[in-house]
Amino acid sequence: MSTIQGTGGAAARPAKSVRVVIVDDHAIFRSGLKADLDASIHVVGEAATVEQAIAVIAEQRPDVVLLDVHLPGGLGGGGREVIAGSAPLLSATRFLALSVSDAAEDVVAVIRAGARGYVTKTVSGAEITDAVFRVAGGDAVFSPRLAGFVLDAFGTAPADIADDELDKLSARELEVMRLIARGYSYKEVAKELFISIKTVETHVSAVLRKLQLSSRHELTKWAAERRLL
Amino acid sequence: MTTLPARPPLARSSDRVIAGVCSGLALHLGWPVKTVRWGMVLASFAGGAGLVFYAWLWIMVPTADEAARRNTRRPASPIAPAVSRPAAATTDDDGSPTGAAGSGPAGTGATPGAPWFRVRGMRYGKEILLGCGLLLVAGIMIAQLLGVDVSLGTLIPAAAVLGGASIAWMQLDETRRAGLVDKTKADQAGGWGRLAAGLALVVAGVLVMVSGSGSWEQTWLALLASVAVLGGVVLVLLPWALKFWRDLEAERAGRIRETERAEIAAHLHDSVLQTLALIQRRAGNEHDVVRLARAQERELRGWLFQDHGRESGQLSDRIKAAAAEVEDLLGNAVEVVTVGDAAMTEAHEALVQASREAMLNASRHGGGTVSVYLEASDGQAEIFIKDRGPGFELGNVPSDRLGVRESIIGRMKRHGGSAAILSTDDGTEVRLRLPAAENAEGKP
Repeated sequence: MSTIQGTGGAAARPAKSVRVVIVDDHAIFRSGLKADLDASIHVVGEAATVEQAIAVIAEQRPDVVLLDVHLPGGLGGGGREVIAGSAPLLSATRFLALSVSDAAEDVVAVIRAGARGYVTKTVSGAEITDAVFRVAGGDAVFSPRLAGFVLDAFGTAPADIADDELDKLSARELEVMRLIARGYSYKEVAKELFISIKTVETHVSAVLRKLQLSSRHELTKWAAERRLL
Repeated sequence: MTTLPARPPLARSSDRVIAGVCSGLALHLGWPVKTVRWGMVLASFAGGAGLVFYAWLWIMVPTADEAARRNTRRPASPIAPAVSRPAAATTDDDGSPTGAAGSGPAGTGATPGAPWFRVRGMRYGKEILLGCGLLLVAGIMIAQLLGVDVSLGTLIPAAAVLGGASIAWMQLDETRRAGLVDKTKADQAGGWGRLAAGLALVVAGVLVMVSGSGSWEQTWLALLASVAVLGGVVLVLLPWALKFWRDLEAERAGRIRETERAEIAAHLHDSVLQTLALIQRRAGNEHDVVRLARAQERELRGWLFQDHGRESGQLSDRIKAAAAEVEDLLGNAVEVVTVGDAAMTEAHEALVQASREAMLNASRHGGGTVSVYLEASDGQAEIFIKDRGPGFELGNVPSDRLGVRESIIGRMKRHGGSAAILSTDDGTEVRLRLPAAENAEGKP
């Protein structure tokens, strides 16, 4: 229940419905997820392998792809490879990673490949629905665990002004990440820090961008220690 | 030892000068090793009978380790350690070795351990000794036969062949090879050197024997020709040898994979399948099913994603263990996120206990998933335990309820930390903080 919290209100949801492609190699999981998703989410395609996924995504051009981290086929790169194969569509299509794995290598690899967020497969349908709308709206979706990975990778000391801005999190971003890691929803984070939800979302997106773009020494080292590179 | 002396089976001992035949024989017969050795040497002069006998035993009698391995399926007997005691440090010796020459019943022939360390101490000296011995034998033979002058031309090469072969074969001996693997590269180079020397001796001996003349000129020519032939043979056979080697490697890798798969299958069987069976039997009880599934998930996750490089028993492990315990106890999920880690101290122990109490409360009263966040750095360790229950007012908790006041707040204060409890309608968060100052005091 706590894995991912949304704003909880319908205000965050765009008026139009969202077109979604589900990529997962387990047919049972796909059908279960489809049944769990909100009625305003239209599943326009399904895929079970890397090749199928790239083809379906190119054909359907969905708003959001729910992407399993581990997939058969392709060169063995799983979800990461699907994102790489759909690179030209990244501006219009957003990827939300789904995984049963909490392993840092799986999560960070898909995020760095371009996914806009990550949720575990054990979360409820309502939570995934919320995450889909959030990602479709251009925001990032952070679970407490992903926030923990970020804090682990970037360190918990705030950035100096002299630092390369990609290399460290600002004091405010750190605060936001810490609260998310503690299980706070975006709304609760906003309340705790006396800022608007929009500002929280901005901070989270900035962190996501840093996670994707930073080539910082410590991040590389952190990743290498966990055999992510 | 009155009627039938119980004898250890005949096996080549690892207390060796050449191949351990003599000491093995001595052990088997219950004679002193020296007697056997001298007997063997003396017998060698009787038309080479000793040499032939030695060579025959070398080929036919297994080493103690081989024999032990061959008989591993037999019930262990107290005899094997006696035979292979000198090697007991490197090999496990279960099973009773049975010599090719037939074995006596296992008994109490536990002779005291052979002077292993002495032999070890002069490992190279042994080789020199062997070389000298061979030279001596050759010299004596030459002297004996010099007057007749019949086969000087064949005896020297024959001696060379024998000596070279024994030097080279020693490399092949199982125990020695196993030892070589453990030792340094220098020793391995030495092994190759000995092999090459043995080979050279044999080749030279064979050449001289075949060419049948003492003329250096002819010998050189023949040597050149034979080296050329050998080179050609190597050239032709090398691809085969390489292929064979690669096949062997592939097979070995395959076997390792097979073992790994078997281990995984065993683990899945022991844990996952059992749990699935349990879940099916308890399908009616939702609470039980969730609890079982969570526990199994946790176990499997721990097994799959375990970070082997990390030290265990650190603060984060303890917090995760406490969370698992609470999850098992009350059935609600407890999600733990950790950043950084710290070694356990007495104060950290208190921190773990306080967190456990807080998790129990959160799970019991919150009723849903509990979020736990641990952040440990050099300066301090902080733990946040959050639930989404209805919340409570600390002031309203009866003073005789010690859970919160004593186990959490009091405990943290006693160990130099602090605890804060923040409760709203959206849930409760317990914040525990432990500065590292106490550790710093303990360190210098």
